[in-house]
Amino acid sequence: MKYLTYILLSIWLLAVTIPLAWVGVNSLRSSKEIVENPFGVPWLVQGSPYQEEAGHPTPQESAQSNFQNAWVESNFSQYFLNSFIVTSISLIMILLFGAMAAYALSKIPSLGNKLIYLYFISGMMIPAQLTLVPLFFQYSYLSETLSAWTAPLGIEIQLHNSHTGLILIYIAFSLPFTILILTGFFKSLPNALRESAIIDGASEFTVFWRIMLPLARPGIISAAIFNFLGLWNEYLFALIFVNTPEKKTLPLGLSNVSIQAQYNTDFGLLFAGLVIVIVPTLITYLVLQRQLTKGITAGALKG
Amino acid sequence: MHINRELKRLRWFLIAPALILFTCFTALPGVRALIYSFQKWDGFTEPEWVGLQNFQALLADDLFILALKNNVILMVAGGAITLCLALLFASTIHRGMRGAGVFRVAFFFPNILAAVAIAILWQQMYSTTDFGIINAIWMQIQQALPSVFLKKGEIPSPFPFTDSSHLIWSIVPMLIWTATGFYMVLFLAAMQSIPEEYYEAATIDGASPRQQFWHITFPLIREVFIVGIVFFIISSAKFFDAVWVMEAELPNKNSHVMTTVLYQKVFHEYNVGYAAAIAVVLFVLVFIATLITLNFSRKDTLEY
Amino acid sequence: MSRAISHCILPTYVQSVYNTIMFRYVFSIFLSFSIILVLAFYSDAIHRINDTAQEIKVVEVAIFKGAFGIEWHQQMAEQFNRENKHRNIKIELWGDPKLANILKPRLLRGNPPDLILDERLPLWLLIAADKLLPLNAPLAEPALGFEQQKWADRYSPGMLNMFKSNGNVYAVPAAFGAWTCWYNASLYKAKGWEIPKTWDEYIDLCEKIKQSGMVPIALQGKNSYFYAWSTYITLVQRIGGVEAINRINALEPNSFSHPDALKAAQVFQNLVANYYQPGALAMTHTEAQLQFIQGNTAMIFCGVWLENEMRETIPADFELRSFDIPGSPEWKGNDKMVHGQGMEFLFVPKAAKHPGIAFEFARYLVSPQHAPGMSRSIGAISPLREVNSPENFSPAIASVVDIVNDSSGAFNVRPYMLFPAWKSQVMDAAIQDLCRGTLTPEEFARTLDDGIAHEVATAERAIPDAVLLNPSDYGELHAH
Repeated sequence: MKYLTYILLSIWLLAVTIPLAWVGVNSLRSSKEIVENPFGVPWLVQGSPYQEEAGHPTPQESAQSNFQNAWVESNFSQYFLNSFIVTSISLIMILLFGAMAAYALSKIPSLGNKLIYLYFISGMMIPAQLTLVPLFFQYSYLSETLSAWTAPLGIEIQLHNSHTGLILIYIAFSLPFTILILTGFFKSLPNALRESAIIDGASEFTVFWRIMLPLARPGIISAAIFNFLGLWNEYLFALIFVNTPEKKTLPLGLSNVSIQAQYNTDFGLLFAGLVIVIVPTLITYLVLQRQLTKGITAGALKG
Repeated sequence: MHINRELKRLRWFLIAPALILFTCFTALPGVRALIYSFQKWDGFTEPEWVGLQNFQALLADDLFILALKNNVILMVAGGAITLCLALLFASTIHRGMRGAGVFRVAFFFPNILAAVAIAILWQQMYSTTDFGIINAIWMQIQQALPSVFLKKGEIPSPFPFTDSSHLIWSIVPMLIWTATGFYMVLFLAAMQSIPEEYYEAATIDGASPRQQFWHITFPLIREVFIVGIVFFIISSAKFFDAVWVMEAELPNKNSHVMTTVLYQKVFHEYNVGYAAAIAVVLFVLVFIATLITLNFSRKDTLEY
Repeated sequence: MSRAISHCILPTYVQSVYNTIMFRYVFSIFLSFSIILVLAFYSDAIHRINDTAQEIKVVEVAIFKGAFGIEWHQQMAEQFNRENKHRNIKIELWGDPKLANILKPRLLRGNPPDLILDERLPLWLLIAADKLLPLNAPLAEPALGFEQQKWADRYSPGMLNMFKSNGNVYAVPAAFGAWTCWYNASLYKAKGWEIPKTWDEYIDLCEKIKQSGMVPIALQGKNSYFYAWSTYITLVQRIGGVEAINRINALEPNSFSHPDALKAAQVFQNLVANYYQPGALAMTHTEAQLQFIQGNTAMIFCGVWLENEMRETIPADFELRSFDIPGSPEWKGNDKMVHGQGMEFLFVPKAAKHPGIAFEFARYLVSPQHAPGMSRSIGAISPLREVNSPENFSPAIASVVDIVNDSSGAFNVRPYMLFPAWKSQVMDAAIQDLCRGTLTPEEFARTLDDGIAHEVATAERAIPDAVLLNPSDYGELHAH
């Protein structure tokens, strides 16, 4: 019985790793090779016919050209930078505002707290698609009115097709979940800490900033990882609110490149692009996976 | 503790940014969407009020019913297999084995990849041309066992997995591949909070591992299991990226899901009111599902 | 720490103010406000309004970046700018493969570019919502390079009909796309296969190909609403003549269930069932075309952009040529008519800032003067009269030009442009089902007809009149 379970788990392990390995291997081959032989491995096959063919690129050359194609000519470097900007700025804001609100809701007793908390949590149930269309028109309207105000200053404001607009949406959308997690963490911190700090002469803000916040670090890290993954991979809002190529984020860029690569039948490019998208997530995951799984379990079990 | 003015001011200062941002960019648009759903608007001209007409049209519309059916296929077929597999894997790893850590780390990984990347990956694997590995394997199987798979005189041919008429069924394995790890970790964590003594007592009483599972493990993680079900329902209602990418942004009536219909209605057919009605229906479904999960999960979520 | 700093730095009375709670809060609000201002200042949502734009009129032109690319268009823009430097105008031309997605929000918002080249936008919707300017004015101007005639008259007959409503032309084509059957001439020479002249010969050819172990025809299945549909419509014309096409364009009830159109559906379904590549319905158009280029199939129906799209992968010994889809002496239709339409449509939104210059540049792009240059650079067949000579094109496209020059006219159907909902909800799935065999031709025709009837019945805006072709103008070759 035990062997059966081992076999089952191993099969699933293969099912998970083989597609990813396939992507990695294919990114190192030229399109011609990929098309001709789905299973080949570039240099491990002794006496592979492709190596002998005149004019056929060596594995190093094709790998280099694929990645160069993706990174430089297909602008993956730009998409990477854009994703990085949008994600990091959003993340900082989300954690800051989320922690602030979570602390206030959990540690500062007040009659309205429950209501406000429920208000935020119900926001988690709002699917992105519901707010998509209104936000689209709301941004047009906002851009118009704000531009009308700032026109005398010679400035016009355009929220569409801007990272700022996207960041605002991301923050608003991720706040409910972050507040949910962080409220739980803050609640678990003892009130005695606060009282002794106040007796020692700290202001309320100092209590929040210097004592409670550092103690909630596990929660903040969990929230940070969750939000990072969600934002880095986010597609729908980016699709609607970012249109021009120089502002696109990585998921958008990837889907663009996949269409482009199919047009040019350049599959090496396609797989290289996939690798560029997958590798950072892979690295982040391997480094932080313990925190991640802890975060899920804590979040789910706490409710 | 007593509330003084300082604390009150601090409180508003702390809550204000989150509250303002959330209201402006999530809550208000949600209400707006509700308003749109009662109007008929093409985005250019003036909107007009039509009451429940959009909802009536929705329920009578074949396209939407088909899309809803596709969502249900994802939920039921995908959900059943994912959750069962997750339960199975979690319970086997929970019993303790070598390499449990490796399995956990590896299985969870697909869940954090971008949905778009996974969709492109699977689209290439399913490709009917020569390099799709799934079809390559299928061709090899056909060639190896001609008596079983090939009718007389037939040559091995690739299977069109990404054909619109059964694209959803082809997406189900992709969904399972992605999501199983997540639910496995979830159930595993829940299982690890079950005290060991229960199992020891059961082993002493002579219960087999299978009996132990059904009589100890499963009942005790029942709540988390239900949370898992509802989670899955919510996320498959929102499913968008994979269908969009695999259909090159043009799904047809067989391969639509509710969210792609919504997108098409707004940006291809300029029927904003109808799309808002779809969004409201989506919201109601998610809302109901969340209420059910709140009912079943721990009570102290809402209590202070 | 801030207490410590304030203790050290500030004088005592200031300290006492600083230490009050009120000051702290006011200060922190002020601080956060300034942080927000600074962030906003560097945000990319804020742009300076370009004052110098008043002096130079900047005309924005957006081009769909597809098989034809945008290099030639960019060259034309630069040339235009050079020739018109003295008038203080500047054309800024850009392109994107996803142009429709980028422009949709801008059209909805009311700040579109001045000139757009893209027919993937729902032009009829925009026309009905009065968002486009009629192009009658520039069309009445003399054609560049053939000043004896108006620009409108230099267009081949029928080219301007696609987007004509109430006598106004709202979009003009920059190229002509003809639907033909492509093959590898060197392969056919080697195998001794002959180009069919009638439909029976065509079927025989398919049989021969099948016997030799090759799949006869490739299909771009994922985009069946265009690729399979075009072949089906060609058959409708071959079998039912111009009358059948007119019936469809006039949106007559049961136009698709008419015996001629029905027969076309049957013939097409048989063709697909016997001679098309299995599994083709899951292939994207590049995949299917790749199958053809790699020699897995012997023929493919496609438009004139095939060579451009597959440029990178066509082997040296592959002689890409096309032949006209044959008809039959038993059928009504004139098989010298080519299924084609204008493509690469240019139009000017009503909210354009400089429509006059946009009109001028459109006339510049599609002119007898520049047509040969366009043909030589990007191999696009011009929709103008008497400008397409085969030597300006690659051998592959020259074979299409021969067909076009030899033809007695072009035809196309308009329902899918007129009713985007019908196209995506009814027609796409129906044609795929017909190919798959899950719908009989009768059911297929019924589905299409019901869809059209529904659209006509629920149309909120007036449907523009159809432009009907006069059969006698096109010479019916076969007596019936």
